[in-house]
This record gives sequence, C-alpha cells and structure tokens, in this order.
Amino acid sequence: MSSVSQEEAETKKTSELSLRLHEYYKGKIEVELKCPVSSFQDFSVWYTPGVAKPSLAIADDADLSYEYTNRGNLIAILSDGSRVLGLGKVGPYAALPVMEGKSLLYKYLGGVDAYPIVVGTETAEELVRTALYLSPSFGGINLEDIEAPKCFSVLEQLRKDSTIPVWHDDQQGTATVTIAALKNALNLTSRKLKESKVALVGAGAASVATARLLFLSGLPKESLIVCDSHGILHPEREDLDKLQLRNPWKYSLAIETNGERKKGGIKEALEGADICISAAAPGPGVIKPDWVSKMSKMSIVFALANPVPEIWPREAKNAGAAIVATGRSDFPNQVNNSLVFPAVFRGALDVRARSITDEMCLAAADSLASYAEVRGLTDTHILPTMDEWELYTYEAAAVGTKAIAQNLARRTKSESELRDMAYRKISSARNKVKVLMKEGLIPNVPG
Amino acid sequence: MIGKLSKQEVILRRAKESDAEKILDLLLRLKRLNEEFDPLYKVAEDASTVGIKYVRDAINSDDCLVVVAQHGTKIVGVIKVDFRKRIFYEPRSDAHIVDLYVMPEYRRNKYGQKLIDYVMKEAKDHGGIVTVEFPSANKISTDFYEKLGFRPILNTYVRHPVE
Repeated sequence: MSSVSQEEAETKKTSELSLRLHEYYKGKIEVELKCPVSSFQDFSVWYTPGVAKPSLAIADDADLSYEYTNRGNLIAILSDGSRVLGLGKVGPYAALPVMEGKSLLYKYLGGVDAYPIVVGTETAEELVRTALYLSPSFGGINLEDIEAPKCFSVLEQLRKDSTIPVWHDDQQGTATVTIAALKNALNLTSRKLKESKVALVGAGAASVATARLLFLSGLPKESLIVCDSHGILHPEREDLDKLQLRNPWKYSLAIETNGERKKGGIKEALEGADICISAAAPGPGVIKPDWVSKMSKMSIVFALANPVPEIWPREAKNAGAAIVATGRSDFPNQVNNSLVFPAVFRGALDVRARSITDEMCLAAADSLASYAEVRGLTDTHILPTMDEWELYTYEAAAVGTKAIAQNLARRTKSESELRDMAYRKISSARNKVKVLMKEGLIPNVPG
Repeated sequence: MIGKLSKQEVILRRAKESDAEKILDLLLRLKRLNEEFDPLYKVAEDASTVGIKYVRDAINSDDCLVVVAQHGTKIVGVIKVDFRKRIFYEPRSDAHIVDLYVMPEYRRNKYGQKLIDYVMKEAKDHGGIVTVEFPSANKISTDFYEKLGFRPILNTYVRHPVE
C-alpha cells in the first residue's frame, strides 16, 4: 500500500514541476535555422531574388520540394484533441502541450522535425480533408489522439488518398511495439504465434491495430479472443448490428475471431490462453490474479494501461505468468510507442515513402525485437529501452528498406546507407540540444 | 467462421409454425437495430409477447410469406413479406418486404439476396412488383437494396399530432 501512495506522491510532484517548467520555457519547441546567415547579403540567396530558382524548379516537378526544402524531414502532428492520453476529450488547445511533447520526442529520438497542428474540427471527413490540404507542406502526417472509431476511418481513407505517409500512432505505434515485445516473449517461452491462443483485452484503437498485425504475423483469426467493455466479442452478440453501423472494424473482429465461440468476460477470455494483451482500462484489479492462473503454463501477460496497469506485474508473476510487460518505465519490459514512431518516420522520410504499410510496421517490430535479442533476452528484458538510442538507426533502416521492397519509396538507398543517414540526423539533433544547453541558449532548469 | 460449420448447406424454405420463436429472436434483433435510426423506433417493452403472435399470424396467413434460411438446426435468416393490392395502379399487386434479417456471421454470403430472390419468384407468379421498407437513416440497407436494383419510390414523413 505504501508503495502505491509513494507513487501517487511522485506523480503529483512531477505534475507540479511540469506545469512550472512549461510556463518557464513557454513550450518545448521553436523554429531554428539550418543554413548559415553571415550577412544580409545572404538573404538574396535564401530569399528573393535567388529563391525563385528552386521555386520554379519545384513548379515543374513537385518531388523536387524534397530536395530544395525541409519538406523531406518535416511531418505534421495532427490532432483534434478528441482522445488525449488518458485525459479524454479535452479539445485542440489542451492537446497542444501533448503534441509539443510528441514533437520533442520525434526530434530527439528520430531527428524528425514534427510540427503540432491542432484543429478545431471533429468530423472524420474534415480531418481527412485537412490532412490532404496540408500535405504539400509536409513529408508525412502523424495522426494523434483521435478517438475511435473515427481514427479508423480517417487512417483508412488517408492511406488510400494521401501521397505522403500517414501514421496513427495510437493504433500502429502501439501495435508495432507490442508485436516486437511479443516476438521475444514467444521466443523465451518456446512458442509459435500460429499455435498460440491470444486474448486481447480492450477493443480500442491499439487493440484493433494489434489484431491486424497479429493476423499478418501468422495468428489464425479463430485463435484470437477479443474482449471489450461488454465482454467477449462473438458473432451472436446482441449489439453486433449496431457495431456494423458504428464500428465496422470491431464488428469484423466479432465475426472473424473466437473460433471456440467463448462467451463471458475477461475471466473466460483468459482461460487457457497463452497470451494476454490488454490495452483496456487503467487498473489495478481490471485483470485478477485468479484469471491469470487459469491461463496456460508459462503465460505471457502484457498489461499496457497507463498510469496503472490492469494487474500489477508482481501479482501476474505470482499467478504464474512467465513474462509480464507494462506501459510503465518503472517496471521491466516497458512497451512504449516511443521505441517505434521516431524510427518509422525516420525510415519513411529517408526513402520518401508514399505510405506506411502494415508490413513496414512488422519490419520495425522485427528490428526492435532483434536489437533486444542480440543483447540477451531474459524475462525482464524483451525490449530495448529508449536510451539505447542507436536502435532507432537500425529500425529506421529496416522500415526504409521494406518501403523500397514494396515499391513505395520515391528514392532507393541501401540498408547501410539508410542507417548512416539515420545516425547522422539523430546524432545531429541530440548534439544541437547539447550545444544549445551548453551555450545557455536553452536555459538551465530554474531553481 | 461459417466455413467450419458449413458441412451442411444453408437451405431456404417456407417458415413453419414451429419456427416462430426462432424467427422472433431474429426480428427483435432487427427492431432493436432500428432504435439506432430514430427515437420513434424504440422497441416496446412487450415486444416479444406481441411479436410471437405477429410471427404466427404471418406464417399462417395467405396474405403473407415468411421464408427462413436454415443452417443445420439453426434459423440464420428470415424474410417476411405482405402481399398488398394496388387497386389504382398497374401492376395490381405488390410483394412488400417488411422484415429481412440475416445473422451477422452469415452476411456477405448472399443469403439476404437469396431470400429476396425467393420472394421475387413468388411476386413474378403474382404478376406484381416487390417493394421494401426500412428506416431512411439506415445507409447499409440503402446500399444493399440499391445494389440489388431497387430504387426509392415512396417517402414516409412523420410528426406528432398537434397537442
């Protein structure tokens, strides 16, 4: 009990510090120059009349915008603030600090310039249109914190219509890092995915995308059981007609999964399952230790809700789970999107990809899993951590290489060239922060 | 999923009185879906009680046609048609589809279309047309019927009487 109240006190302290520092720095990002300015004479090169030349070249060939502008390293972080972190529908203004934070991670971990764009609209159609209107400015679009099921239709439509890659981190980022962790967990428990039984707890953005990547990785659809807040999805559930209307993605899961026709709740879903992946409501107590003990031997439990996992890792272990992962950094095996999105866009941008496919997600997952594997897998080490920053260079190269193989790249590079490019860009981003801090241009934290 | 179960084929046949309860289950699913489209489609509390009589009467009436899709022992789809007279117009008779429901996992297999084809044949024998009613906000139904060659012909508007 005392450890819980200690955690609460710690969280409160961090929150207060965060508010103070956001006020002190007035946000976390700004625009900096990347070309030299020695005298006003230079302006005639960087701006008019000189700039007319690159401008006219781009007018003839829009793809030259990748050569002559920063477009090829710039993405939009687009949000309507309809489902922000665990905060819910807080709206576009309140979403801004979160989007700036995302921008910080993109730059520091992936060397990607990511600009927050929060919009005052909520309909799927307008979000799609906004993304399409914005695309001449950007090399890619990261959709962020948009509620389900709207996020599914927005992503699906943009994956069809957009000529630049569009990514929804809450779906694809979470699913990709989950698959990476699962790969190593399967390895450690000598399992094959296609022979495993999987229970997905929660049927929101992350779970729907995870299901898709699980199927693509070889899990038979009938071996998956999905549980939402009303219980296990199955084809005879009373609310299925409404789902077909409102959430066809979840509807499809209900029709296609659950070969055993199980009915009930999380308890029944876990009975006999090898793997539980939960991205549901914050715990503790959402998943009971008794239920974990009814899973198969050496089970795998990912309890990914934040801030509190659906079951405490120790409880899951005591109930028989061989490998436990959460979304938190203070427990082993943190399943964190930040291991994925900076590298995915690094790789996609460096080959000027037209889109980000599920296969590219799996390439990222494979790379991430191998990075941990060569450093030695144990039950408390199935994923690398963010401070092993070189992982992003391998992951980016893997994503870029897959895009090339799928004919989705506007330019071709070898995997080692891609890794070098990623290395240069990411280390440059990190070094700039170091230099600016050293020079006092980024002031020290006060107090 | 039905791939596994489908050792036996899905057959279409006229409903019998012994099917009434299973048919009612399907019809209540349909009516509950309609709740999504308009508050005036809120399903009444005694719907199952009055519903069973409605189904039995339809099965036994010469003015109605009830056809079911059966898979093994399960009723997985149903269509209910009222034969209506069009005394002012030609052709003179109308096979009017009031209810059509197929269980979710049997959809996308053309059972809905086959149930309609069954009705089409009967309508042809009567020398009439086939019409269908469903809530105007039901886009899935609109798409479904338009794909099968139906077109809109009649509007139904609603308001409460003056208080």
